[in-house]
Amino acid sequence: MARWSILKQVDAFNGLTDEQLEKVALRCQEMLLEQGDIILYESDQSDEVYVVAEGEVEISIRTSDTARSGTAEISIIRLGAGQIFGEMALIDQGLRSATVRCVTTPTRLLVIPHEDFMALCEEDGRLGFIVMRNVAADLCFKLRSHNLAWK
Amino acid sequence: MIYKVSYIVQGGAHPGTIRNETSYPQVGETIRIGKHSFEITEVLELIPPHHDFSYLHVTCRMLDPRDE
Repeated sequence: MARWSILKQVDAFNGLTDEQLEKVALRCQEMLLEQGDIILYESDQSDEVYVVAEGEVEISIRTSDTARSGTAEISIIRLGAGQIFGEMALIDQGLRSATVRCVTTPTRLLVIPHEDFMALCEEDGRLGFIVMRNVAADLCFKLRSHNLAWK
Repeated sequence: MIYKVSYIVQGGAHPGTIRNETSYPQVGETIRIGKHSFEITEVLELIPPHHDFSYLHVTCRMLDPRDE
């Protein structure tokens, strides 16, 4: 599937014109991975944004396992095609908050480097506004869902 | 319309998933997440629809293979 078609199904790019989607598509790099491959490690310093084009990834975090005086890794959510991850670093350039690994073969990702995305925003302010608004909405969606899950 | 759905599994048997669907999830429907089957027990609109996307929160329970 063409990158443009994939991005059309990603809510982070919801509301962009076809021309704007094409600009984003041109900045994307592609990764093809297998089940078990690690994409990001918790506490990594990196700032790309990822789009799951095909397959599924698992988000996990390390917690202290007091019973065994060590750490345990717990899975907190899986993300399917059309979802983004790594978006928090796009906003705050902080360290990665979780580890992300592929749970399917193949797992196909589109990757947008932070500097490329910022250059796009400089070039097309309206595009930048729409994407940042959508990324904020995506974070709200995840937080609302997380809160409901606790209920 | 693309339905962006957050699936939460009762009891924590599975971490759940967020994925896009092309049809509106229905209570009682059986879905597959990975290798497992689940029954949908609740569907909530999480935030209002925007452009081409609708945002839903779905609670489901893991099905015993004998239930299927």
